[in-house]
Amino acid sequence: MSEVILAFLCNWCSYAGADLAGVSRFQYPPSIRVLRTMCSGRVDPLFIVEGLRSGFDAVFVYGCHIGDCHYLEGNFHTSGRVETVRKLLEFSGIGADRVQLRWVSAAEGQEFARSVSELTEAVHGLGPLDRDRFGLHLSALSQTFESSRLRWLLGMERRLTEIGNVYDEKIDKRKYEEMLGAAAIEEYQKALILESLLQGPQSVREIAAACGLPVYTISQRLADVEKAGKAAFQGFEGNTPKFIRSGA
Amino acid sequence: MVTELEKVRERFLADIQNSIYGDVMVVGGGISGIQAALDLGTAGFKVFLVEKSPTIGGHMAQLDKTFPTNDCSMCIESPKFNECARHPNIELLTYTEVDGVQGEAGNFTVTLVKKPRYIIEDKCTGCTTCVEYCPVTYPDRFNQEISKNKAVHIFFAQATPLVTYIDESCLYLKEKKCRICSAVCKTGAIDFNQKAQKIDVKVGAIILSPGFKPFDARLRDEFGYGRLENVVTSLDYERLLCATGPYEGEIRRASDREHPHRIAWIQCIGSRQILPGANSYCSAVCCTYTQKQVILTKDHDADAECTIFHNDIRSYGKDFERFYQRTANIPGVRFIRSYASLGKEIAESKNITIRYAAEGGVKEEEFEMVVLSVGLTPPADRNDIAARFGIELNSHGFCKTNPANPMETTRRGVFISGAFQGPVDIPESVATASGASSQCGELLSYRRGKLSRERIYPEERDVSNEEPRVGVYVCHCGANIGRIVDVPSTVEYALSLPNVAHAEESLFICSTEAAQKLSKSIREKGLNRVVVAACTPRTHEPLFRDTLREAGINQYFYDMANIREHCSWVHSKEQEKATEKAKDIIRMSVARACRLEPLLEYDLPVDKAALVVGGGVAGMTCALSIAKQGHPVHLVEKEKELGGMARRIHYTLEGLDVQAYLEDRIRRVYQHPGIRVYTEASIVEVAGFVGNFTTRLKSDRGFSEIKHGAAVLATGAEEYKPSEYLYGQDEKVMTQLELEEKIAKRDKSIAGSRGMVMIQCVGCRQEYRNYCARICCSHAVKNALKLKGINPQIDITILFRDMRMYGLREDYYREAADKDVKFVRFEPEDRPLVEAVVAEGRPVIRITTLDPVLGQRLLLDADHLILSAAVVPSEGIKKIAGLFKTAPGPDGFFQEAHAKLKPVDFGAEGVYLCGTAHYPKHISEAVSQAYGAAGRALTLLSHETVVASGSVCDVDENRCVACGACITVCSYGAIDFAQTPKGRKAAVNAVLCKGDGLCNTVCPTSAISLKHYTDEEIFSQIDAVVPPRHAHAH
Repeated sequence: MSEVILAFLCNWCSYAGADLAGVSRFQYPPSIRVLRTMCSGRVDPLFIVEGLRSGFDAVFVYGCHIGDCHYLEGNFHTSGRVETVRKLLEFSGIGADRVQLRWVSAAEGQEFARSVSELTEAVHGLGPLDRDRFGLHLSALSQTFESSRLRWLLGMERRLTEIGNVYDEKIDKRKYEEMLGAAAIEEYQKALILESLLQGPQSVREIAAACGLPVYTISQRLADVEKAGKAAFQGFEGNTPKFIRSGA
Repeated sequence: MVTELEKVRERFLADIQNSIYGDVMVVGGGISGIQAALDLGTAGFKVFLVEKSPTIGGHMAQLDKTFPTNDCSMCIESPKFNECARHPNIELLTYTEVDGVQGEAGNFTVTLVKKPRYIIEDKCTGCTTCVEYCPVTYPDRFNQEISKNKAVHIFFAQATPLVTYIDESCLYLKEKKCRICSAVCKTGAIDFNQKAQKIDVKVGAIILSPGFKPFDARLRDEFGYGRLENVVTSLDYERLLCATGPYEGEIRRASDREHPHRIAWIQCIGSRQILPGANSYCSAVCCTYTQKQVILTKDHDADAECTIFHNDIRSYGKDFERFYQRTANIPGVRFIRSYASLGKEIAESKNITIRYAAEGGVKEEEFEMVVLSVGLTPPADRNDIAARFGIELNSHGFCKTNPANPMETTRRGVFISGAFQGPVDIPESVATASGASSQCGELLSYRRGKLSRERIYPEERDVSNEEPRVGVYVCHCGANIGRIVDVPSTVEYALSLPNVAHAEESLFICSTEAAQKLSKSIREKGLNRVVVAACTPRTHEPLFRDTLREAGINQYFYDMANIREHCSWVHSKEQEKATEKAKDIIRMSVARACRLEPLLEYDLPVDKAALVVGGGVAGMTCALSIAKQGHPVHLVEKEKELGGMARRIHYTLEGLDVQAYLEDRIRRVYQHPGIRVYTEASIVEVAGFVGNFTTRLKSDRGFSEIKHGAAVLATGAEEYKPSEYLYGQDEKVMTQLELEEKIAKRDKSIAGSRGMVMIQCVGCRQEYRNYCARICCSHAVKNALKLKGINPQIDITILFRDMRMYGLREDYYREAADKDVKFVRFEPEDRPLVEAVVAEGRPVIRITTLDPVLGQRLLLDADHLILSAAVVPSEGIKKIAGLFKTAPGPDGFFQEAHAKLKPVDFGAEGVYLCGTAHYPKHISEAVSQAYGAAGRALTLLSHETVVASGSVCDVDENRCVACGACITVCSYGAIDFAQTPKGRKAAVNAVLCKGDGLCNTVCPTSAISLKHYTDEEIFSQIDAVVPPRHAHAH
């Protein structure tokens, strides 16, 4: 097996569980490279995407079981965030299965070894990540998770669904998820357009081909990014209007 | 004119100048003495740690691994050597013996004799040039005399202090010739004029931790030790297994230096026998250490055939049962329940035959090596110890202790810890060490902090204008890493990485010597970042950070590459891939190290109060010990009354009147002005962190909010309610606790019972509750003996799987057998059948069981059937664990921070545990742990401040858009808006920030960042995977 996987382990539960696997000599495939954070809540979607971009074939995030988080609720946030990453990966065609979230406690050495073995096997089934094919998509994903809108929405989950805004209005959890999902996809589509425009002036049709999206969707999103000042109409090439990136 | 007063004053001053003062003397530098010294030193006492051999470490240093986690023994112990050596309040006196003790508690004068090492310790650098040149070789004691060492040598590689000593085999000492060592020593450290030196030290209390002596196998000559080359003791074998052992970790036998493949272990050598020279008691550790040795043997040689000849398998400790199963399930391992005797040595092969009972008679089988599992005995000089310290011994030669307090000797102010109380394993030795230190604290509380000092570090070098210069140190960890990972190639690889200025390998990077070398090389090579590729940062990071501080650079310039737990240990069959992975791990670590920034730590105030949850024996003992050291204690009990499980226990095997004892404890708790008791209490919420907890609870006092610096969880356990063997359907069937209550109430039907059967292991040692409940065997024997005392005619049969009467409890097992209590074994797959029948006109319980010795079915009609029901975790344990942010272990009991060396600490700082919530245990064991938890809590509570990590969040005001997302997600209220010159911005209160970094991930503009885990640092680690694996696939 040659796939290499980035594994985020939280210090208090899953890193300790991985240590216990070592101490107990539970064997698992040498596939993962561990990155320790104090809490799985520190794992930014950007880190996950960066892992896929920089050469890993998959990213695993391990945290404490829900309710056991050393920092009270860190892992609660992790789960929503990883879910959003997975949704976009699926949408982009890269596939949600390249990112996995699991809970392992400090006492679950065997479970850690078992889980790494199982997930590694699954990644092996997917094969190496084709970065040539998905380069554009991965760059767009990074940009998506950098967008203030999506980050703000992700960060405000509790405020919006549990605590309420300044008018004491709360949003139903399902509605929030729908909203988040739609926003994520919109941001991703905008990012894709901007990424593809990096190749030079392009027509709507060309952008649509590069992004693998319908022309109508591209037209809509292109209008959005134009309004935000990130893309501009460059001129006609024959009868075809061409667009370029502009602004910052 | 000199007045009388001035004369007195002069005499007093002269006296002070000529004396050495301390608070506590710890005698014995094994793991127990080390722990006692560290706890006392950290809790503000000046400690003298006296050890008669040339280094601290004791027997634990000789072990290869420790059960049941198979941690490398030296790896977990040697950081403690280091801590002792660096501790400002610990004075190490090695190669020193105690000559006499005068005075009384609070004011002892101990006379020490410092034996001549013939080495000036301050001048010796541990370079071992003298060892190389020394012409005299003699058997190396550390390696059990299997290999040779020189007359001048260092006791072992991690010895502390790391200086040589000259043995009596020295030519100059014997015949006044040679002196080569003096000639080659560049520092002039050799001094043959040294004489034994007497030193008087005044201390207030003494802890005796002399440890044990392994049973001398020569006393059982029939097993051939010393006569037959290929018969070794278990301690010899431990050295054979070890990478620093006589054959560098290869198991070889003496006769031909070949690797033996058929190896036999014989258990109970010198234990459980009434024979001249042997001991009647059980040595408590041999069953499990043998299993460990078998597992390690199979690790060395997967084809090895291991056979264990044993009596009962006593897997009574936490996780021991699973460890036993793990061993028994390895192919090629046989456990044979039989007495074994040595047949003969075969002349040509030097193989040895063993005769044992098997189906169809006695069998004789040939083995290439025989390991004698020798027991533990009291120290050889126990009688001298008793005389010098003025204490009494028990009939076995161990220290005589108070049955309700295993650390208290017959002399006030003299405490013991470790194996001097009887055969115990490492966690018990460590817990009693902390416990003895707590009792010293009770005695000397008035003088705490008067003689202690703080650690001083050199000033930090400012490296802000320097390019990163990374030093990479790759550890072999004996053979733990080196056997799998090609260490030299990783060093070479590290040197090829950008910014790496230096790389080297080390056998044990955590040894005191290696740490000093590391510190030196940081200075000499001008390094400003350090990566140690070794084990887990969760145990070793503090040690290396401290080393960086000593070298004068900021401790946060450090990163640890875990190539042991996460690499060599889990990929032991894939050496090449493990090496490749190790290189990747190091590369990621180096990339991260280059981005690290220096950070400042914060001092947080410590609340002086403690919260003790659980008012049973353990909780009360712990509360009293903490309160006696001047700290307010809040004792919380869920029931209406204090006492816990002990309310149902009336006597112990050793004869303690439990109810009288309990009454006394309860009275003392209520009388102590520093203890506030809350009954019918339940905890609603726990907030805060080490040194600063706030707990809200509901109790008979209404709602309370308690502020406390430390918490001890002693929430106890419960007796299993059986669903098997007609329990609850027939009143003649009851549990041991119910029987005990009936005995205490002088129930007539019990006293008049004509026949009683007890069934062991009810509700445990099976798939769904896979542990041994530890106390039930003793409980059954205790009740059986009590009943025999009341009615000698009563017929009692105990149906058991293994009688786990470990340690000195074995004597009572023998007593019960002598008093005609019958013991019949059963196999788990053939459990006794129980039915209610009428026999000879009266209702009885009929038990049918297969006697494996006779091979027949036995039919027992009993008036009463007693079930030895398991001890199970209490119902509320999960909730309590959750409130304090800890997770219960696989069996549902509290999970301690480390099975061996942190037996009463939780992983979460400032929270400690004791009693049966940790695992089933006897009252005396719960008391040991309770004092232990108190001792550990005092290492925190005795300080004014606790240091908080510098890894906290910080806001870049230029980027902050004041959206408040970070404020919403912070569980600690550490972030709030503040008015700044740039407007309203988020601001972090560093004291409240716990460093989880959750806020970083929600910030829309990446304005807030967690120091030490910044985006930049983490990206650098991720990106270190480039060049992509696939591009340079081999």
